[in-house]
This record gives sequence, structure tokens and C-alpha cells, in this order.
Amino acid sequence: MKRSLFCCLSRGFFLFWVLIALFHPPSVASGKEAASGGKLNIYTVNYPLKYFAERIAGDHATVVFPAPADVDPAYWMPDAGTIADYQGADLILLNGANYAKWVKKVSLPRSRMVDTSAKFRSQYITAHEVTTHSHGPDGAHAHESLAFTTWLDFDFAARQAKAIAKALGRKKPKLRETFQMNYEALHKDLMALDGEIKAVVSKNSTLPLLASHPVYDYLSRRYGLNLRSVHWEPDEIPGTGQWIELQSILKHHPARWMIWEAEPFQESVKRLESMGVNSLVFNPCGNVPDNGDFLMVMRKNVDNLRLAF
Amino acid sequence: MLDSFFIAWKYIGYNKAKTATLVACITLISFLPVALQLLLNESERQLMSRAVSTPLVVGAKGSALDLVMNTIYFGDQVPELITMAASARVGDTELALPIPLYVRFRARGNPVVGTTLDYFHFRGLKIQKGRQLALLGDCVLGATVAEALDLNPGGSLVSSPETLFDLAGVYPLKMKVVGVLEKSHTSDDLAVFVDIKTTWVIQGLGHGHKDVTRLKDPTLVLKRSKSNVAATAKLYHFTEITQSNMNDFHFHGNLEGYPITAVIALPYDEKSGTILRGRYLSEKETEQIIRPADVIEGLLQNIFRIKNVLDAVISVVVLATVMAIILVFALSIRLRQREIKTIFKLGCSRLTIVRLVAAEILTIVMASGVLCAGMVFLVNLFANDLVRMLFIR
Repeated sequence: MKRSLFCCLSRGFFLFWVLIALFHPPSVASGKEAASGGKLNIYTVNYPLKYFAERIAGDHATVVFPAPADVDPAYWMPDAGTIADYQGADLILLNGANYAKWVKKVSLPRSRMVDTSAKFRSQYITAHEVTTHSHGPDGAHAHESLAFTTWLDFDFAARQAKAIAKALGRKKPKLRETFQMNYEALHKDLMALDGEIKAVVSKNSTLPLLASHPVYDYLSRRYGLNLRSVHWEPDEIPGTGQWIELQSILKHHPARWMIWEAEPFQESVKRLESMGVNSLVFNPCGNVPDNGDFLMVMRKNVDNLRLAF
Repeated sequence: MLDSFFIAWKYIGYNKAKTATLVACITLISFLPVALQLLLNESERQLMSRAVSTPLVVGAKGSALDLVMNTIYFGDQVPELITMAASARVGDTELALPIPLYVRFRARGNPVVGTTLDYFHFRGLKIQKGRQLALLGDCVLGATVAEALDLNPGGSLVSSPETLFDLAGVYPLKMKVVGVLEKSHTSDDLAVFVDIKTTWVIQGLGHGHKDVTRLKDPTLVLKRSKSNVAATAKLYHFTEITQSNMNDFHFHGNLEGYPITAVIALPYDEKSGTILRGRYLSEKETEQIIRPADVIEGLLQNIFRIKNVLDAVISVVVLATVMAIILVFALSIRLRQREIKTIFKLGCSRLTIVRLVAAEILTIVMASGVLCAGMVFLVNLFANDLVRMLFIR
């Protein structure tokens, strides 16, 4: 009996060591998943960047611009689900110049964000009318107000496209030549538009013009337009104060054409005509157009601009 | 042979107190150096693995150790601050990916780590519950923090004020817990992660209030001119970021001038890393770039110097204990002279007596070995947590 107890203990001791050997934690090996070699998933903050990315990447990327069609992407705020989609993208194309203010209020991976206008950051246009405010001991501070429709300067648009081509090339080095070729074709189209506007404006570079909204700063600076802006919306009838403000502008700036972002109400058009001001549409195309693509919209814009000159 | 062990077993069972003392002595004396070595190896592994996996750190010139301990282990000592421009500078070189870090604030005793989403990818941190950071004011908890504070996605965590007596300071920010990380057995388990912009809100650099240009309550406006609106102290600052007040939160000025504690630079290749290090060699340079592995190696060398002293002390104690044990056995044999004589008279050879004593010693040593192995096994099993509890934090 006692001998068997001793044998049991000996066996237990052996079993203990076997268990130690079996349950000893193995060394941890870490490894990362190999990068998938499929299509690139690109998210953009406005339509022009989507168009540029699609032209440059061709079939090698799926380009998504998820803002609803009826919103201004500059002031849009995506929901949590859409932010998660942006976070999962291979590339997030930003316009820069404080466009898409929501970017400052969400968490996005910086390694995949491309500020397409970073190279010409020093040439951003700051809005003239900025109201500062102060509270607490820090003194007055202003909410920086930058003009952000950079792509209406087609040279800037081409530089933004170049930044996209470069970012794509970094993601897919083997396709760098294809991206470069596609970029050059896009560059040619953009420069053709650039040349056309220059030719149109050169006919009468001092011609006074009005803009219904201050979104044409880059267009105006690049092509030397003599442009003054008001704060009107095409889908709203201007109030009495706005008409009075216009009359006062016209005294010093005798414009005969007003540039609108979209087709304005007929009532506004007629009242403007009665004041000797005609209307033309130059769509900045920040969101996906109802018909055609970015290039077609811009060509139409140039044709519309010809009416004034 | 088994007979000798059986008689030895009976003898040991009879002299319980003496056996227990001997087993305890041998167990402790063999366990101490092994356990110490295990813990040191684990602390070296932990310190070095995190340091080696962090290629370069950019920070203000000053204590490299403070910078590394704050950046890698989220230590309490906050290094001199730098600005986001330092992060942009690394990015602009196109030699490395910058990951800015702002480790200054705390929430219920845990470090609040302000960073970008790239940090999670870089460290391989995965969300176990909830979702990743998405909006300003969101926070993701390390596994240990979530466990200790009993927090889950949907809960909230309030940032701690830097000083209790700063009555005019910034109100604490109520952060929304949106996710809990998988356990990583690193300092990341003990941190509260937020977007770097959220840390600026905690500091008061970013804030939310009603649009002062549209204020109608005259008691809120101190002075209004065409170009400036001065608000009174009555202007309410939001202490929580919600969907409804999100648009009222804003940052003043250029974000590149906003403070951070360090930038983790991930060079695209070895050559890029070397070139990048070269960019910070100027004497006029206000920032330093360091390899955390070098700093931690220096720290470990000091630890091992102390370990050598400990080893020497333990060696002397081991020698003294072994001599005491030999003495105990020698005295025991002398006390058992009558018993040995009886065995001899029963017809057993001298070799049998030697075998009996050897079996006793072997059994005691084996019992100590089993106990020691068990204790070493436990230390090994919990070495990770023990090291972080005893040495790293």
C-alpha cells in the first residue's frame, strides 16, 4: 500500500514535468499580412479630385466621393460610417486650403492622406473679410478663412493632379509609367482649358464682372478677371438689402455680367436684366454634375464665359 | 534501489520539520537567481522590443531618456514640447512617415495619448470591442485601463485637470469611449488613446462655443466692432463634444504651431533613416533625433551592472547555504550513529548505508527541485505582468 503511494508520487512528479514542457508559453512570433495587390481604394473630398484620380488611375483604382449630390462638399459632415470608410481607404485625397472642414474634426490616417495643394500652400488666397473674436485671456483670434476652389485655376488643378499621380505611383510603383502617361493626358486637357480662358479674357481684360458668390478667387487671379463678389445663392431670391448692396457696387464697378455657380431663379435673372446685368453660369463643379464630367462642365463654363467677352 | 528510497521516504516523513527547513532552504536558494534572471530577461525583452520596433524619435533637445520613456512607455515625465511643424518637417523630407504624439494629460490616473491613426497600424493594435477613433472627443482604451475602470464602448471618461488649483484653467473634457483595444502586453494596455486634436481640446487650444458673431444675448458680448467681437466670461465653453455642437468646435491659427511631445519617425528604408538623422546634427538645431534602442541599451547596461552586484551577493549566500546544508547532513549522520550501527548489525553493507543517506539527500533535493520548478513556472507565466508592475511602471 505504502509502496504504491510512493510509486504514485514518482509518477506524479514525472507527469508534472511533462505538463510544464507542454504548457510552457511559446515565443511570440509577429507577422504582418502581405499587402494585397488588388485595385486601390481611393476616397476624395470633392468631385474634381475624384475626376482627376479616375483619369490618372484608370482601371487600377476605385475612386469614391461619398458626399450626397445635394450638398456643398466644402461644408458637408460625413457620418461615423462614412468616416470609417475614409479610414479604410488606401488613399485619401484632400483639396487643402481648409476645404472640407470636417477633416479637422475627425481621425484619419495621415500616412494615407494626400494634400494635393500642399506644394502651392504659400499661394493660397486669404479672404478679405474676417471677423476676429476674443474670449478669455488669449486675446483676439480669427477663424482663418481661405479661398478653397483652387481647381478653378487650371494650373493649380494640374498641380493637384500631379500630386495625385505621384501618390498613386508611390502606392503602385509598377504602374508609375501608366499613371504618368494618364496624368500627361489630363494635364494637356487642363492646360487647353487654361489657354482657352486666357484667350477669352485677353479680348477685354478690364471688363468688370460680378460673381454671385466669392468662390472664383483663384479663377480671377489666374486669368486676371476684374471681378467683384456678392453673397447670393442661385436657389434663393436676393433680399432687398442685397439688391441695394448690388446697386452700390455697380456705381463703382459697372459690370454687365454676373457669374453664377448654378442656374439662378428666373426672377433674379429678370431683375438683374432690368438693371442691365446679364447672367451666365460658371459651375465650380465641387460636387458630381448631373450631366457629363468635370471636363465637359468646364468646357461649358468657358463657352458661357465667352458670352461676356 | 527503490527500497533505499522507500526507507529514505519514511525517514523524511518522520522528521518533518528538519525536512521542511532543508527543502525551503534549497528551494529558495535555487529559485532566487533563476527568477531574477527570468525577470531581468523579460524586462530586457520588453524594453528592447518596444525600443527596437520604434526606429527614430524626434523631440526637443534635452533628456533623451525622458523623451524615450514618455514616447514609448508613456512615462509621467513630460519632455520639452515641440510643435506639429516638427512632424510636418519629417513628412516633408519624404524620408520617413511621421507619427506625432502628445503624451501630457491624464484621465483617472492613466496617460492620455494623443496621436494619429497611423500609431495603431504601426504598433499592430487592434480593436477588440467597439470601433476606431472617428470624431473629435472620441477615445479608445487600452485593455487594462478598460478592465480597471470597468469601461466599455458607450461609456465616458473625463480628463484630469493638470493642477487642482488652476481655477481659471480649462474645464476637463468628457470623452466618449468608442472602443477597447485587444490586450497587447505592452504600455499600450495602460493608455487612453485619443486623436491628437482632442488633446488640444483638452488643453483648451481647440474649443467649442456659440458663434460669437451671431450672439444675441447682450450679456455675452463685452464689445462689438466691425472687425472684432469680444465675448464676456459668461460665454459657455462646451465640455463635451457631441454631434450637435461638433460644428461649433474650432482651432485658432495654424495647427502646425500646436504642441506635441514627440514625433515617431518611421524611415522608408535604412538609407532614409541615416539621411534623416543627419538633418538634425547642426549645433543650432533645437530638436534632437534619437534611436530609442541606443537609449534603452544604455539604461539596461546600468541595470546589468546592478545585477552583477546582486549575482555576487547571491553567490555568497548560496555558498553559505550549501555549507550549512552539508553541516546539517554531517550532524544528522553523527546523531544517527546508533541507527546506522543497528542497520549494520542487521547485515547490511556499508554501501547500503551510503545508498540510504544518498536517497534521503536526493529526495530532499528533488522535492526542492519540484517546488523551485513550480515557482519558476509561475514567475515565467506572469513575468510579463510582473515586470510591468515592478520595473516599467
